[in-house]
Amino acid sequence: MKIVRMAAVGVAAALVLTACSSGDDGSATGGEETAEAAEITLWLNGADTPDELREYLTTTFEEENPGSTLVIEEQDWADVVTKLTTALPDAANTPDVVEIGNTQSPTFTTIGAFRDLTPLYEELGGDDLLPSFVEVGKAEGKNFALPYYFGSRYMFYRKDLWSAAGMEPPTTLAEFADAVTALRTDGQSGFAIGGQDWRNGISWVFANGGELATESGGEWTSTLSDPKTIEGLEQWQAVYQGASNVPATERDVAYWDFLNDGADGAAPAAATIMAPGWARWSIGDLTTNDEGEEVRDGMADTEKFGIFALPGADGGLAPVFAGGSNIAISATSEHPELSENLLRIIFSPEYQQMLGENGLGPGNSQYVDALGEDEFATTMIETAAASKLTPAAPGWAAVEAAFVYEELFQAIAEGGDVTELAAQYDERITPMLNGR
Amino acid sequence: MTSTAARPAPAPAARPAPRPRRRGPRLTPYALLVPAVAVLAAGLGYPLFWQVVTSLQEFGLAQQFGQPPTFVGLDNYARIFTDDRLWAVVVRSIVFCLVNAFLTVGTGVLLALLMKAVHPVVRVVLQVGLLLAWAMPMVAAVTVWKWLFDWRTGVVNWLLVQLGFDSYAGHAWLAQPLSFFFVATVIIVWMSVPFVALSVYAALTQVSDEVLEAARIDGAGPSRILWHITLPLVRPVLSIVLLLQIIWDLRVFAQIKLLQDGGAPVSETNLLGNFIYETGIGRQDFAGAAAVSIFVLALTVLLSWPYVRSLLKEDAR
Repeated sequence: MKIVRMAAVGVAAALVLTACSSGDDGSATGGEETAEAAEITLWLNGADTPDELREYLTTTFEEENPGSTLVIEEQDWADVVTKLTTALPDAANTPDVVEIGNTQSPTFTTIGAFRDLTPLYEELGGDDLLPSFVEVGKAEGKNFALPYYFGSRYMFYRKDLWSAAGMEPPTTLAEFADAVTALRTDGQSGFAIGGQDWRNGISWVFANGGELATESGGEWTSTLSDPKTIEGLEQWQAVYQGASNVPATERDVAYWDFLNDGADGAAPAAATIMAPGWARWSIGDLTTNDEGEEVRDGMADTEKFGIFALPGADGGLAPVFAGGSNIAISATSEHPELSENLLRIIFSPEYQQMLGENGLGPGNSQYVDALGEDEFATTMIETAAASKLTPAAPGWAAVEAAFVYEELFQAIAEGGDVTELAAQYDERITPMLNGR
Repeated sequence: MTSTAARPAPAPAARPAPRPRRRGPRLTPYALLVPAVAVLAAGLGYPLFWQVVTSLQEFGLAQQFGQPPTFVGLDNYARIFTDDRLWAVVVRSIVFCLVNAFLTVGTGVLLALLMKAVHPVVRVVLQVGLLLAWAMPMVAAVTVWKWLFDWRTGVVNWLLVQLGFDSYAGHAWLAQPLSFFFVATVIIVWMSVPFVALSVYAALTQVSDEVLEAARIDGAGPSRILWHITLPLVRPVLSIVLLLQIIWDLRVFAQIKLLQDGGAPVSETNLLGNFIYETGIGRQDFAGAAAVSIFVLALTVLLSWPYVRSLLKEDAR
């Protein structure tokens, strides 16, 4: 009896499997260059693009391309590289248009995973497009990925604590270090930063004119041992050790919590933090929103909360690491013309304007005014203009995936010898950058 | 079962003499096996085959995007075996696996003995508690443990400070590999003890009271009864749960990955699963990852072989 049942289950399972596989054929024979009606897929990462913008994209696309539909699928930032690696080569399953983190772009542009957008470059904005993002989406002189939106990071601080200590926002990096070191107590970080938090920490490298890696003749070399880079890393080490109570192993902490008052009005855990612009909505006093939920008021009390851009080594602004995304078309997309039509909508003045109004830096610099004119918008535009990206090396994604910089910065935070560590990690990172 | 056994066997004379059967291969059983074998071959055989083939090729991101892979023989194996990082991970994984497996089985046996000894009401409470821990989704469980051990807002640090250990204020448990693995061990043992405890308890209920009573009458104390009667009687169950624990603990991946995401020295806390994930998914070195996976398969067989053999022997007895 048992054997018969097992066999029946086996047959049923086998039938189900064959039934699944027979459905795959047939769809591959679509028109190659004709923009005939079809359904195309757009992958957006995380909840970064608000619903209002998504709706605009689908309705506009369907109006302009009668009979065609646009499906937007949301991907998780954490595993988007993995998903793209498996989906992009497969014509039957590839998304047509994809959003990709700016520093993840080189992984795919260098192996021909994206469609060449050079012919569209001028039409979609040309030189008005954010240069650092255009550059990171280029390979062999061709444009494969174009800027979708940018974010920026700046310093959020407790104005009340700073002025109680008689201090003003700093104008040089050294002043900043002195101020946050003076503001530190056992229960409160002057500047809360985790030891592994290299995405914030590399600002000190950039501010001193240092680079993480340079390219010559197609070969990438890690340049941590460059005197300017070492200078920056040592300054960061001093700031971490002098001003932060956060453990050396922490990274991507919800720093904004540190700036808010503790329960029952207890003192905040930090006087200063560094965070992306949207952190504003997690900072402030508690209030109730329309749905009756308890939320932060977005730093409404300007006597208590404030922001400033991280100053440069000799005044001006320090180049910070810019967050943001690029957008590209899959090389195996069966509907390249429709996909290009979608890009035309994304780079249209209307959509760029909408990005800005929603707090996302528009890829086309003509529309940054849409961000508004308040302190947050101006600081965001200023820091973005001075921002820098990580090296556009083919192996960069591998370096990030192996948490190499996290370890390096942890070792520095724990008080390691920067020169020695830099030499050691250069040796480890250079081969990874070149893909082995 | 008992009713079948109790039924008297039919008298042999009543049965008609069996007709002489046609000798030779009978196809029906094999035909019935085909679907199941086919499903197994497709579900397990094909990925394994692909894994072996990939481990013998140069297969990276470029190959994934259409370049034909080149056959490189055992190069990938040579490459990973000469990598010091692999051996560090292997040693760490084996030690971690054995410590966890023995701790889990030890704790499980103690809990099973406790269940046998306590009042039935208490036992039901214990069993429900164990089942709840067993049924808890892994990501949720690890998240809660992470919160418990959080450096800033965790209950563990708070409790230690309340008890007078002031140095634990703001102590980062995940920062050092040793304390990281301490937390990981607590989580993994907590998650796997229920299975062991309930299995061993089930085995203990099969130990007949007559034997125990006879031992008691002969003057054996409780610890002698435990070591010389109870444990040998439940030994088959103990060996199988220990074998399963060793295999499971060698494959542990998600718990470590989730803890690492909370901030930890990653390369010093990687176990084999994490190492494969980092090589394959992180660095897109699919061939290297395939080679390490095959190696882990061999390692698992090697580690569990003595147990499998003794299990087979016991079966044959």
